[in-house]
Amino acid sequence: MSESLDALERRITGLRAEVRRAVKARENSLARSLRGDLRRAEKAWDEAISAEEPVPASHEPEPSLLPIREQVHQALALLGVPAAARLVVAVNDAFFSRALRGPQLTSLRRDEERSFRSDPYARPYYLCAALTDRLSPARGLLADSTWEPERRVLGPLSPRVDFLTSTMRVAEHLTRLPDPSPAALRLLSRMAQNIPGAVESFAPADPAIAIRAARAELEVHHAADTRQRAEVAARASSQLSDVERLFGAATMSTLRGAC
Amino acid sequence: MNGRLDELRGPVPSHPHDARAIAALAANPGCARRALLDAAGVDKDRTARHVGFPAPFGQSQFAITRGNVFEALVKENGCAELLRLLRELLGLPVSEVGYQDVENVGAHLRHSHTRALIDRAARESEETAVFYDHPLFSLEIAGHTSYLEPDVVAFQLGGRFHIVEIKSFGVIDGQAEPQKVAGAARQAAVYVLALRTLLAELGHDPERVSHDVVLVCPENFANRPTATLVDVRKQLAVLRRQLARMTRVDRLLEGIPEGLTFDLAPDRDGVPTRSAQELAEALCQVPARYAPDCLSTCDMCMFCRDEARGNGSTDLLGRQVRDELGGVSGMAEALGLAEGTLEPAEGQEEVARLLRTANLLREECLR
Repeated sequence: MSESLDALERRITGLRAEVRRAVKARENSLARSLRGDLRRAEKAWDEAISAEEPVPASHEPEPSLLPIREQVHQALALLGVPAAARLVVAVNDAFFSRALRGPQLTSLRRDEERSFRSDPYARPYYLCAALTDRLSPARGLLADSTWEPERRVLGPLSPRVDFLTSTMRVAEHLTRLPDPSPAALRLLSRMAQNIPGAVESFAPADPAIAIRAARAELEVHHAADTRQRAEVAARASSQLSDVERLFGAATMSTLRGAC
Repeated sequence: MNGRLDELRGPVPSHPHDARAIAALAANPGCARRALLDAAGVDKDRTARHVGFPAPFGQSQFAITRGNVFEALVKENGCAELLRLLRELLGLPVSEVGYQDVENVGAHLRHSHTRALIDRAARESEETAVFYDHPLFSLEIAGHTSYLEPDVVAFQLGGRFHIVEIKSFGVIDGQAEPQKVAGAARQAAVYVLALRTLLAELGHDPERVSHDVVLVCPENFANRPTATLVDVRKQLAVLRRQLARMTRVDRLLEGIPEGLTFDLAPDRDGVPTRSAQELAEALCQVPARYAPDCLSTCDMCMFCRDEARGNGSTDLLGRQVRDELGGVSGMAEALGLAEGTLEPAEGQEEVARLLRTANLLREECLR
């Protein structure tokens, strides 16, 4: 291969000199045809050199055929707990189409609420809000309306519990994949770094160890969190209307009486 | 007294202070001009621009974006990163993981909700959160309420509150830029003071707010956060003294002539009606205490520097040199003493001897 490259380089140098001579002699048509030859030789040289070192296939995300809400639903179904938009995008990046972008999610909850208000229960599921202990929508979290109410409400411990649960779900999903992508492993490593005993400093995380560590910490919080969540969920079902149960109550009305 | 301050400000609304501004107060406690302008709630930035000396600072949009991205990283997933850091730093037990986002109640209720949550945390140790995200404190500065937003307040077992300050400057090899750390510490001291005031108002022991603040910065050249404890006792003391001075601003007011005002009343186009000349003369009536550090904290810095240059003041050379030249009124006098053209007055002999020696050394070096 390198011999043909050498030959091509010699030819290119020769052609350049001839072009210069032709231009000096004002032989325009000859110069033009020589330039054509030169271009062809340079192109052949480009091809020969890139054949020696294959260009890695570009990782352009292929546009997904699913609408955005379906893609978000897919990510939420994998995580199994209310999640922030950033985490939804990260999961989509790691396991699915990699076409989801953060700004696309900003008005999602509002659109879903509008759709539910105009035509309740028309869709099989809605992307709704997680409710705080004052029954107001939690900022920035997305949830699935088909989940049981206890999963869609938050106590003070719930952010941590949900984080541990989602780490376990991501790790479990990784073990099922025959050939997990580097992005997925990176996501797990990043999450596992914040769980004690889940990962050795900067080494990539092992799904099995990450699950064990997350479960160990989860056991500490589980009982208290379940109790708090059940209490909030009971309050939500007795005090709120259908729309509010999914999308949260306005803050002013719920603040009276609470605290 | 308030009437006098309103007169100083003119018929414009009082300018609110943020933590940066309050922290900058503590950076130069001896400056009467700054103390007076702040007490009266004068918009210093507009004043400086109107007299033709706009301040050369303000945060760059890139720095703000970088700061926000790093803060979001530290706080994501219910402060997961921060939790790891505090477990390592403060030995937080595994069971302590609660997280409350104060902003969930909506922006207009944040202040009262912060009060309620902090009160509950101080009263009962059971079932309280460790992190209070997006809290909103208030601090009374010279009769005006300023609202302050610390990054996170952490509440630890053992019943102590810690202020967490998230900054995006790097800690490289365990070292950060001292100026930036000092700035962060001053800012955090403001939050500590506000939280202590809040606890005192609620009838709890203000000392439950730790004077050690948790400073979170990116480590080395990666984006991985690291945390350190910074003792802000000194900054707190300076801040307290400065705020007390502002409440005792009547003493400052005594020295200034009647009828003085920094009025910036705008006309219909929003341009201040007073001439820049008049305003500058009014400003010169109040003594400033310029130091080179002012360039990074105060809106009026360029004006004061120009004034100090005009007077040939030793302030220009920095605090240390100024203090060593105590009793020498200006650069001209210092040079005169050094070159021996001036006879040292009583009490200046020591300084004069040092200056002459320094001059002699310089001459020999240049020869």
